[in-house]
Amino acid sequence: MNRINQKLQEDKKLLSIYFTAGYPNIDDTVSIIQDLEKNGVDMIEIGLPFSDPLADGPTIQDSSTAALKNGMTTEVLFDQLKDIRQSVSIPLIIMGYFNPMFQYGVEAFCKRCQELGIDGLIIPDLPVDVYHKQYQSVFEKYGLINVFLITPQTSDERIRYIDSISNGFIYMVSSASTTGAKSGFGDEQTEYFQRIAKMDLKNPQVIGFGISNNETFSQATAYAKGAIIGSAFVKHVTNYGTDSIDKFVNSIIN
Amino acid sequence: MKLKVCGMKYHDNIKQVAALRPDYLGFIFFEDTPRHFDTKIPEISEDINKVGVFVNEDVNKIIEKVNEFKLDSIQLHGEESPYYCSILKSASRFHKAIEVIKVFSIKDKFNFEVLEAYEDVCDYFLFDTKGKLPGGNGYRFNWSVLNEYPSTKPFFLSGGIGLDHVEDIKLFKKNIASKYCCAIDVNSKFETEPGLKNVSILREFINKLNNKKTMNYNVDEKGYYGEFGGAFIPEMLYPNVEELRQNYLKIMAEPDFQKEFDQLLKDYVGRPSPLYYAKRLSDKYNTKIYLKREDLNHTGAHKINNTIGQILMAKRLGKTRIIAETGAGQHGVATATVCALMGLECIVYMGEIDIARQAPNVARMKMLGAKVVPALSGSRTLKDATNEAIRDWINNPVNTHYIIGSAIGPHPYPDMVTRFQAIISEEIKWQLKEQEGRENPDYVVACIGGGSNAAGTYYHYLHEPDVGIIAVEAAGLGVDSGESAATSVLGKEGIIHGCKTLLMQTNDGQITEPYSISAGLDYPGVGPMHAHLSKTGRAEFMSITDSDAMEAGLELSKLEGIIPAIETSHALAIFGQREFKKDDVVVVSLSGRGDKDLENYIEYFKI
Ligand SMILES: Cc1ncc(COP(=O)(O)O)c(C=O)c1O
Repeated sequence: MNRINQKLQEDKKLLSIYFTAGYPNIDDTVSIIQDLEKNGVDMIEIGLPFSDPLADGPTIQDSSTAALKNGMTTEVLFDQLKDIRQSVSIPLIIMGYFNPMFQYGVEAFCKRCQELGIDGLIIPDLPVDVYHKQYQSVFEKYGLINVFLITPQTSDERIRYIDSISNGFIYMVSSASTTGAKSGFGDEQTEYFQRIAKMDLKNPQVIGFGISNNETFSQATAYAKGAIIGSAFVKHVTNYGTDSIDKFVNSIIN
Repeated sequence: MKLKVCGMKYHDNIKQVAALRPDYLGFIFFEDTPRHFDTKIPEISEDINKVGVFVNEDVNKIIEKVNEFKLDSIQLHGEESPYYCSILKSASRFHKAIEVIKVFSIKDKFNFEVLEAYEDVCDYFLFDTKGKLPGGNGYRFNWSVLNEYPSTKPFFLSGGIGLDHVEDIKLFKKNIASKYCCAIDVNSKFETEPGLKNVSILREFINKLNNKKTMNYNVDEKGYYGEFGGAFIPEMLYPNVEELRQNYLKIMAEPDFQKEFDQLLKDYVGRPSPLYYAKRLSDKYNTKIYLKREDLNHTGAHKINNTIGQILMAKRLGKTRIIAETGAGQHGVATATVCALMGLECIVYMGEIDIARQAPNVARMKMLGAKVVPALSGSRTLKDATNEAIRDWINNPVNTHYIIGSAIGPHPYPDMVTRFQAIISEEIKWQLKEQEGRENPDYVVACIGGGSNAAGTYYHYLHEPDVGIIAVEAAGLGVDSGESAATSVLGKEGIIHGCKTLLMQTNDGQITEPYSISAGLDYPGVGPMHAHLSKTGRAEFMSITDSDAMEAGLELSKLEGIIPAIETSHALAIFGQREFKKDDVVVVSLSGRGDKDLENYIEYFKI
């Protein structure tokens, strides 16, 4: 069974952390993954940086630009991850925009992911219908789970469609926004979380965007299987470097 | 079936032929031929496979040439043995994995048994006519010999193929002999002298082979132009884009919409814009040049045709807040103008570099009540302004309409913008009829940033095969200089701003930063319609440098008393680069006026 599905069966609320590969330093990728696992993170999204990250706010834009300047490329990332499964056992997901994968060759990309022990992909600008028609069979051939986003504006009908095509979890974007920590959730979010919880979807939901601390993590996981932290973690690394990852993770889950 | 053009020799000719987007270009390194290649290969699209042709050459020499010219394939035209092929196939000193094409010559008969030993040591076979020379004999062999082809290896069909053989090729395609034929290889029949290809005959050949008349150059029902287009957007944008997709054609067809659109174009924009016969310019270049005067529109460019259309659309969709990106500031001004007209809030994203080089337009937008927000990321030009506008839309999904300013973005934008700009060619048709007695010119010409004035200028001529389409891109400091925006040459298929198109990018798929003196052409992609026109060879793409454009702008000012926008000057510069016949009628889209560029002209010419 795919590590993501296994993890989703555990009887606990899951914490998933996003970081930008190659940031702050080109060679931090592996040690960040190891540290996150050691400190109790359940799942990791490895951000493959892109020059034009349309769905990201300033924090991840800046870390992406810096990572590319540091020399991060698809090939470099794959190379860094070549022995990752010897030391890390939690699910690993690559999150990136479609163009770098398209240039690498979608099939070649998926094949490489499988070889390295990557469990899934999140590609915000690969639409569900294009995936469904053109790429689903390739992803499945290499045992990869593709994760789709939904937002407060996504219609029930489309959510059901996305649920039918997903086989891992659904990434619930907490509000209409690009990535970047906001301060707290209001009634609008709570209503949205409740509405989705009531839909009784086949796939569990994990909430992302705007989760930055213990409070927002608890609010989100009151309704969903887990939550994803991105910008807040990248900011932490920017401010405090990679030595105090334990402090960050502890502040969220303990 | 793919196309290989072999025997390329001359720098400019290589570029022109490459612009027709053949799948392979062949360079002959055999010295004993007038087509011997001995110069440099200019920068051409990476989609084109570069083939080196050798005859019984030393293996080390082949490796050296392959690496020096970054060849993708080698074609062996002599008596190379299977063992020799296997050495090349497994050589590790190549810059990349290369493909081996082994040539066999056929006259009326061929013993196919010889192929067997080559099955595992080459990637393709190529069948050529047996004659005195190792290739380039200029006549065909009897293709029915291939009925006996015993292999499943894909092969190239070669030998004396010319424009006259299109029907034969079509027949051949229906025959089982062609089952494994993957490409047609042409050479001597398309030359004006050995090594110099006749670009227009080659284009005609490509068009005829592809049945150009029946090809669709408009968007299809799925939002694609051939393989380009679509809507590659994050889920956050889906409801907005989908709402637009479901409604745009319906709304545009409403009589009440049409009435309001036409009325505003007439009374507010000042349409129809004149079609002006430029006599002195025509005399100078010895052809008949007409200028479609979009520069005389209110706000000084074609951009307002689209913003009028989109603001009416936005109102019918119940939107109250308008966002836009802008490069030269023309689209920003046109958007700010219609927002003032309709009393809607307006936010324009503009690259920091462009804010500096297009100051008058920034001031205009502010006077019109718009908020101008600098884009500070990346190259701080049009691409980055577009990113910011898209991010704004993600953050404001309900009340906001994004007025994209060119024929780019996710479907339905390229088509919607094209339809609003199509008024340009609609008018050219009747205006030319009045002046020349015919609706169709010999050529329509436009500069391409994202491609909206071009799309409008071509629209009603796309399916008129007697009208040549010329698309002019910005070469910046030169296509090979690293400072350029000539996407059709430098670009590869990829995804930018929600659509699949040609775009300038690294091998790793990172979008690269373009350069042009003109802010409106300084964009790393082209609209998907134009990518399709380029790929199919329907349009001829040319690239013009900063300096040639500036000179052409000055020339139009002196000869006709019209100061054009620098974007437009690129389109005008083709007359110095390309010949037209004396009685050719060439219509150029004069997309904008030069007021916004005065600073740049003054500085450039030290006026
Ligand atoms: C006068 C003028 N012409 C051409 C362009 C290029 O845009 P497009 O290719 O969409 O026509 C611009 C863009 O700003 C412009 O201002």
